[in-house]
Amino acid sequence: MKLLNKTFLVAGVLIATIGAPTQAAEKIPRLNGKPDFSGIWQTTSAADYDLEPHSGRKDAPPSAGVVEGNVIPYLPEALEQKQKNFAARETDDPRLKCWTLGTPRGIYYPEPFQIFQRPRDITVVFEFGHSVRTIHTNGTEHPLVKDNEFFLGDSRGHWEGDTLVVDVTDFNEETWLDRAGNYHSGQLHVVERWKYLDANTIEYQATLEDPTVFSRPWTLTVPLYRHREKNFQLIENYCFTLDYDQYYPYPERIKPGK
Amino acid sequence: MTRSIYLNVAIVIASVTLSSVHAQTAPGQPVGGGRIQLEKTVPVIAEGKWTGKRLSDGQPDVEGHWSNTIANHNNWTDPQGGVPGDPDPRTIPKTPRETRAPSRVSDPADGQVPFQPWARAWQQEFLANFHNPTRPEYVEPLARCAPAGVPKSFIWHGYEIRQYPNYVLFLFGSGTRIIHLDGKLHLPANIKLWNADSRGHWEGNTLVVDVTNNNGKALFGRTGEFASENVHITERFIFDNNGERYNYVAKFDDPTVYTRTWTATIPAKRWSEKNPPDNGWHYEAAVANAPGQPLLHEHYERICVENNGPFGQTAVTPAKK
Repeated sequence: MKLLNKTFLVAGVLIATIGAPTQAAEKIPRLNGKPDFSGIWQTTSAADYDLEPHSGRKDAPPSAGVVEGNVIPYLPEALEQKQKNFAARETDDPRLKCWTLGTPRGIYYPEPFQIFQRPRDITVVFEFGHSVRTIHTNGTEHPLVKDNEFFLGDSRGHWEGDTLVVDVTDFNEETWLDRAGNYHSGQLHVVERWKYLDANTIEYQATLEDPTVFSRPWTLTVPLYRHREKNFQLIENYCFTLDYDQYYPYPERIKPGK
Repeated sequence: MTRSIYLNVAIVIASVTLSSVHAQTAPGQPVGGGRIQLEKTVPVIAEGKWTGKRLSDGQPDVEGHWSNTIANHNNWTDPQGGVPGDPDPRTIPKTPRETRAPSRVSDPADGQVPFQPWARAWQQEFLANFHNPTRPEYVEPLARCAPAGVPKSFIWHGYEIRQYPNYVLFLFGSGTRIIHLDGKLHLPANIKLWNADSRGHWEGNTLVVDVTNNNGKALFGRTGEFASENVHITERFIFDNNGERYNYVAKFDDPTVYTRTWTATIPAKRWSEKNPPDNGWHYEAAVANAPGQPLLHEHYERICVENNGPFGQTAVTPAKK
C-alpha cells in the first residue's frame, strides 16, 4: 500500500512537471494568435562582458559563458585578431564610442530595450543610442540588392509554432559581439530564435555563421527578463553626444546674467 | 555601399536642390520641381472629430510615412530663404519675401521668435559663424549626428509613425521619439533629453503631446533659433480626415529665453506606395522583396554615421585633450 502511494505520488509529480510548460504557454501574451513580445526587456547575464567562460577581471565579473560548447570556433587568423581586440578593449570597443551595438549584441547589452509588435513587424528600440531595429514578419525576404551594410543587419522573421525565428544578414564590420573583442565580418549571418519560457521571460538564442571569421556556426543563449517596475520606461541614451553636448544650446559665457 | 544616413552628403544634395529650384522658379509659380520645397502655403486643417480609419485600440490610424511640405531646416523663419550669409550666393533666392512660404513662427504675427535680447544676440552670433565655424559651439549639432530634437525632426527628411496600444512612435532620420499615451507622469525634472519626454492623448483628430525634460541642445535650424532646458512645449498634431495631411502646431513656453509664448506651425503630407520609393529626401523607402505580393515599400535602418564631421567639412574645432 505504501509502495502504491509512492507510485501515485511520483506519477503525480511527473504529470505536474510535464503539464507545467503547457500551462505556461497558455498564459503568455498573444497578438493575432502569435506570442506577443511587447514590453521592456533586459538580460541579467554577463554575456556582454565576455561571451566565453572567464574568471573575474577588473573589467568583468566571472561567468561560465553563454556559448554552446564554451569556445567560439575562430579560424586561426581571426583568433589572432580577436586576441588583438582583447588587448585593446579599453579603447577599441565600439561601445565606448557609443556606436550602435549591432545584432545580437544589442539584445544582451545590459541596458533595457523595448519591443513594439504589430502583425506585420516587430520594432526593437534600444535605450542605448535609441537605435531602432525592425524585424519584418510580413513574409518579405531580404533585399535583392546585395550592397546593404547595416549596423543591425536586415531582419526577416517567421513563426515556427510559438518560436519567432529571425534571419539576419547585410551587416557592416563596425560592431563587436562583446567587450572582450569577439567580433565578426560583414559576412555575418545570424539566425535568432525567440521564445517565451513564461509570460515574463524570453529565451533568446542566436546562431552565428561567418565564413571569414568562424570555422563553423556556433550558438549562444541568454534569458531576457521583462521590466515590471511601475511606470518603467526607456530613457534615451544618445551617449555619442556626450563629448560635445557642453557646447549647446549656448556656451557658458553667453548665459543670462554673465 | 552603406545605406546609413551620411549627413554631409544629404546636406550637399539639399543645397544643390535648393539652388536649382530657385534658379528655375519664376515669381508667382509654385515651387515645384525641387525635391524638398513642394509647397509655399500652409493648408487649414480644423480640429474636430476623427472620421477616418481607426486602429483596433481606437486610436485614429495615422501610421505610415510623412514629411513636411515646405523646406528643410536651412532657415527657421524664412523656410525657403536659404541660410543667410551663405558663401554660395546661388542658394539665396532673389524673389520677394512674400512669394516664399511663410515663417514657421505662426504667432506672433511678425513671424519672429520673441527672443529676449541676450538670446537674440546669441542666435545672431551663431548664424554669423555658421558657415565657417571656428569654435565648437558654432557647429550645428545635427551635423554631428546629434538627434534633431523637438521641433527640428519634423523638417529633417521624411519620417515614420508607428502606433501601438498606449504608444505613438516617431522614427526620424536622426533620433526616435516614444509618445506615451497611458497617462503616466513625466520623468523627474532633472533628466534632460535631446528628444525630451512626451506624454500624449487624442482629442478627436488631434494628437496632443505635452513635452518636458528637453535638454534644449538641438537647434531649430541652421539659423540657430533655440530653447533652453526649461522649455515646455505643447504639440498638437492635427490630422486631416482624408488621411493625407496633418499640421504640426506647437506652443513654446520658456521664460529663460523668450519674452512671451509663441507658436510654430509645420504642414506635413503622407508618402506611400502611390509615390516613387526613393526621392532622396522626403521618402527614402525601398521596394520590399515580396514575391507574389502587391507592391510594398519599406525603410531601411535609420542610423546616422556618428560624428562624421561638421557641416560642409569646413569647420576646424580644437583637438580633444
